[in-house]
Amino acid sequence: MSTLALKGPYWVTVRQYRRTLWLAVAAVAVSLAVIGGLRIWDAQTPEIQLEDGYRIPTDDTRAYETLRLALEYGSAWLLFLPLLVGAFVAGPLVAREFESGTYKLSLTQSVSPADWLRSKLLTATAVALLTTLALIGVFRIGWSRVSGTYGLGWADRGSYEATGIVLFAYVLAAVAVGALVGQLIRRTLVAMAATGLVMGVVVLVLGTFRWSFLAVKTATAPAGPTLWTPENGLTMETGLLTSSGAHFDRLICWEEAARTPGTDATEGLWGKVEAQCQARHGVTTQYVDYHPESHFWPTQLIESGILLALAALAAFAAFRVLRARHP
Amino acid sequence: MTKDTALEARLLGKRYGGRTRGWALRECDFALPAGRICALVGPNGAGKSTLLALAAGLLRPTEGTIHAPAREHLAYVAQDKPLHPRLSVADTLRMGRELNPGRWDDTVARRITEGGGFSSDTLVRELSGGQRTRVALALALGKRPELLLLDEPMADLDPLARHQLMGLLMADAAEHGTTVVMSSHILTELEGACDHLLLLHDGKVRLDGSVEELLAAHTLLTGPIADLAPHTVVESRTTGRQLTALVRHEGPVEGPWDTAEPSLEDLLLAHLRTTEGAPA
Repeated sequence: MSTLALKGPYWVTVRQYRRTLWLAVAAVAVSLAVIGGLRIWDAQTPEIQLEDGYRIPTDDTRAYETLRLALEYGSAWLLFLPLLVGAFVAGPLVAREFESGTYKLSLTQSVSPADWLRSKLLTATAVALLTTLALIGVFRIGWSRVSGTYGLGWADRGSYEATGIVLFAYVLAAVAVGALVGQLIRRTLVAMAATGLVMGVVVLVLGTFRWSFLAVKTATAPAGPTLWTPENGLTMETGLLTSSGAHFDRLICWEEAARTPGTDATEGLWGKVEAQCQARHGVTTQYVDYHPESHFWPTQLIESGILLALAALAAFAAFRVLRARHP
Repeated sequence: MTKDTALEARLLGKRYGGRTRGWALRECDFALPAGRICALVGPNGAGKSTLLALAAGLLRPTEGTIHAPAREHLAYVAQDKPLHPRLSVADTLRMGRELNPGRWDDTVARRITEGGGFSSDTLVRELSGGQRTRVALALALGKRPELLLLDEPMADLDPLARHQLMGLLMADAAEHGTTVVMSSHILTELEGACDHLLLLHDGKVRLDGSVEELLAAHTLLTGPIADLAPHTVVESRTTGRQLTALVRHEGPVEGPWDTAEPSLEDLLLAHLRTTEGAPA
């Protein structure tokens, strides 16, 4: 992170925000220490050897559970990264120049306003992407041990972002949105809050709709024993079909079983009553709509594409606003 | 703009915000010859800062045009002396070098910061107002500008530092033929330093010309009360049966009065007093 090799406005940006740089380095170092430490602790605790050759962590292994917890929280923190990056770019990097009047200094030097903004944004982008890469690396160190466990599956919010490429796209979009909002709202704190809000909404909305990008696959089986989702898939919907192919509301027979006296006391009676009821209504098939694990990368690519388009639009608008205001 | 003009405005106007807001500057027309030291004066809210920001290229005119040297060839020190608070003085000067490659003159910049009573590793936010002014001026002069725009440059300085910095500034401008436009409330600061005057009031240019010509065009007269026609009265006062007036004379002043050429301060005060509160 030598500032010696940097020139012109890039040197100025790095020099001005060197504390933030060190903060990013410290954040990576701390997370590496935590996750690395937990992995070492976990590795030193012996596992139970099962009869069929599997090895599983002992129930009383605190290390494994702490690691799992750290990663669940860690993945949630990674979702905040775009919000933090956006808020930093909008507030301290851009809006503060206008709020404190230092833009009058910056924009009357020999570099053009566009070069000035570009140097700020490129520096922020480079640092943000490197930090993201480092944090994802740290996450991977822990994730390789606990992946697929509850809350840490390939499609779970947090893990999904932290193990693919979308987080980089989110960070890029955050930089561009921050640059635009910081110029439109020339107040440091308000611009930070607004950008954090915008990026928060983007993270939430895309997180909600990302499993609608691709069509689900459907697996069917005769009614009866539980149909498990194949291909390590993400279950979207399960249900019953009658012989005519119509959807059948599972609740109808569930309620009948609930009304039948003795079903909660006698083992197996509940299932029997439900099965009889379903047969009476002509239920023949059960199905599951799911996203197979192979949908991971296509979904990541589509989501990243949307985010990059957003980033390009915001960046274009940011430079237009700058040019409109400062000749 | 010809080669001999450093700054030229044609029907320049600037309005902030929407159409409901008033004009900060309207129909400004002037041409400032290169190499002049121009005093930009006027009451508060006259549009001085707006004019300087337009000249610096920080604002777009609402109407009309302003021709100034390109960004590389001008320097601007805003009224609040904006500097990055967390950079040291040395870093701030290094910034000047980084952002003005090929132009930066470190010797000039150091000459200004020396004598400010601070070391170069002091952080900008720890400087006093006067010390900040020094650093801001150092940054501006180190750039070797053709046109130097200064908004109330000396307001934060004590009289001694003001005298010293004005001396440095004037010597530097004379040596390099720099054109300087300097707004100020401190009239003594302008006397003797400036050879050109631009007086703004209510966003309009009220006086524009070389100090020498403006002074020669005005007469300060004292004597009995009498009709002052055909001269244009800028300001007149009567004390008992005694009249004191500053006029812009039309031909020689003949009458029962004692006449004298006004000082720059007389001229400015007379114009400022009459424009103050007067309908535009």
